[in-house]
Amino acid sequence: MSIFFLQFLVDIIFLTLVVMHLTKKNFVAVVAFSVQSFVLTLLFFASFLETNNVSILLMVFFTLLIKVILAPMFFLRLIRENHLSFSVNTYLSMPITLVIIAVLTFMAHSSKFVPLTQIVPTHQVLLSIALSSIFIALFLIVNRKETISQILSVLSLENSIVVFIIFAGLEQSPNLQIGILFNIFVWIMIATVFVSLVYKHFGSSNVTTMKNLTD
Amino acid sequence: MYLISLFSSLVITSLLLVLIKKRILLEIISLLSGAIVLVHSFLIALSVASHGVYSSSLFFSVDSFGALIILIIGCIGFATSVYSVAYFREETKKGIVGFRRVKEYFVLLYAFLAAMCLATTANSPIFAWIAIEATTLSTAFLISFYNKPSTIEGAWKYLIINSIGLLLGFFGTMLYFTSVPSTLNGGFVGWNDLLSSTSHLDPLIAKIAFVFVLIGYGTKVGLAPMHTWKPDAYSKAPAPLGALLAGALLPVAFSVVLRFQKITDAVVGSLFSHQLFIVFGILSIIVAALIMFSARNYKRLLAYSSIENAGIMALGFGFGGIGAFGAVLHMLYHSCVKVVMFFSAGNLLLTYGSAKIANVKNALRVIPFTSILFILGFLIVTGTPPFGIFLSKVYILSAGINDHPFITFSAIFFMTMVFVGFLKHITAMFLSKDEESNQEIGEKNIWLIIPPVLFILLVIIMSFTLPAFIETLIHDAVIHY
Repeated sequence: MSIFFLQFLVDIIFLTLVVMHLTKKNFVAVVAFSVQSFVLTLLFFASFLETNNVSILLMVFFTLLIKVILAPMFFLRLIRENHLSFSVNTYLSMPITLVIIAVLTFMAHSSKFVPLTQIVPTHQVLLSIALSSIFIALFLIVNRKETISQILSVLSLENSIVVFIIFAGLEQSPNLQIGILFNIFVWIMIATVFVSLVYKHFGSSNVTTMKNLTD
Repeated sequence: MYLISLFSSLVITSLLLVLIKKRILLEIISLLSGAIVLVHSFLIALSVASHGVYSSSLFFSVDSFGALIILIIGCIGFATSVYSVAYFREETKKGIVGFRRVKEYFVLLYAFLAAMCLATTANSPIFAWIAIEATTLSTAFLISFYNKPSTIEGAWKYLIINSIGLLLGFFGTMLYFTSVPSTLNGGFVGWNDLLSSTSHLDPLIAKIAFVFVLIGYGTKVGLAPMHTWKPDAYSKAPAPLGALLAGALLPVAFSVVLRFQKITDAVVGSLFSHQLFIVFGILSIIVAALIMFSARNYKRLLAYSSIENAGIMALGFGFGGIGAFGAVLHMLYHSCVKVVMFFSAGNLLLTYGSAKIANVKNALRVIPFTSILFILGFLIVTGTPPFGIFLSKVYILSAGINDHPFITFSAIFFMTMVFVGFLKHITAMFLSKDEESNQEIGEKNIWLIIPPVLFILLVIIMSFTLPAFIETLIHDAVIHY
């Protein structure tokens, strides 16, 4: 598959993460995650076209089902049931957030991370963007104050790592990947239950309201 | 065969318990299954001690270190089952939990035990990762067991922090796969494949990968600064679960880090991993020592003690040689003594209805057996002679005194601080007089005393003599470190 098309796909993943940083609405964040997961599905499909390994189609199916359809459905239902349309603030203001995103992106492209981005020399640009997506997803987790945003950030981190793995040629057997995906699915279900519980007990999805545990 | 029946009994128990509608049946099945796991863990350990690596298929195998951990899981798992039955009977009497909750607890408990056994025996690093992640998933609801705001908060932190940690661990794990073709063994790459392909692994990638693995799985171990979930989770989980989290999960996660250490050392030499272990180890000891002094909750106190002891183990593996031997020994003693302390903490909680140190007064008179157990546990876990942990600490510190005198003396200083801090709380809880107390005097139930008594006897006996098969396993396990 053309490197430019692959770069276009990985750019979309990167941009969805930027959108998740900037949006004030949970709905937009969920849609961004869904788009991100759909791009991941396309990458798996591209892998199938290259290898003709039919079991990769299973991965395509399960990723589509779990990450593109089921997970966003869970989240949208949570938003509707708990009236969580608007996300609570971030710890850092938007300009500072953008500056940090730029710094993280620059860092991922710097010579410090060449050992990682040169795993497959022809994919250096793709791996650099995937690495910056990993960093930005990590930053998203620590910068968001809201439970749904934190869950979406963790899942985006997982997506970014999987994208890195694909471009680094480190894909595992489809059976193992389905095992990982099943784990992620159970994680999503448990995490959504906890979002509801947090809202029920604290009357808010803002994690800064949780102050019961101190030394 | 042993492994298959071990997994089968755990999985079948977990599934069977879902269907049970009578409490007595639930308890009998749990106890029976706990006993089966205990017997199997001994059989596996004996088999490994006499015949070497035990393997039942391409997917699972147990080496000496794994056998020690399986033994720990089996012993603590059975003790936890026995103690949990008695503990939840008392909580039911008080109207704290009902049958549905108890059932949920045992179902998740056995799922947790199965996940830990899987993580220890999995031949593939990816399988091990899936299993470790499964330990997080199975215990999240156990931490929020009492369904209060504080328990939900503890469980949420546990879920998020551990998930992030494990994703970083996953990233590190995948970086090790750069040394092997993805088509190897039909895509099933095992620990041995990674170990035999170290010549193809870029040293810089190996270093980066190990940092990610250490941070990732180190989160599960509870090494500072990734320890923040631990006090919250330990203090909010039911007391019997605390014993499993501190006694069994910690060594399970540590064993995964050590497997990666072996691969990294083969690529870049042992200096790199040893330095990282020393840094994380001493940091954990310092953090725990500083916070323990001002702790106000005795279950959180035990969590900080776990962080300190994880740090001591890391220090032992960092110093290497006899230090590694001390670290394995320390792991064994620490697991056993934490069972005693968490079970005693459970008894204190049942008697006083509070985990706050300030609310526990004159415990030595109110619940004498539990108090003696807790005090003995304190003496053992802080390394007071002549108990085993004193010996393991001496091994670890003597390994570091030549090459890292500053670190070693700092460790001694902060360990002393831990002892003083712990002692302050022990004095307040067990020796202070409370004239106005109207606490009912006496232990609640003999079965709340028997499991910790057996474990304290085990630690005391093992402080002076180790069974031959355990000694063989320890010596065989530390050869590589």
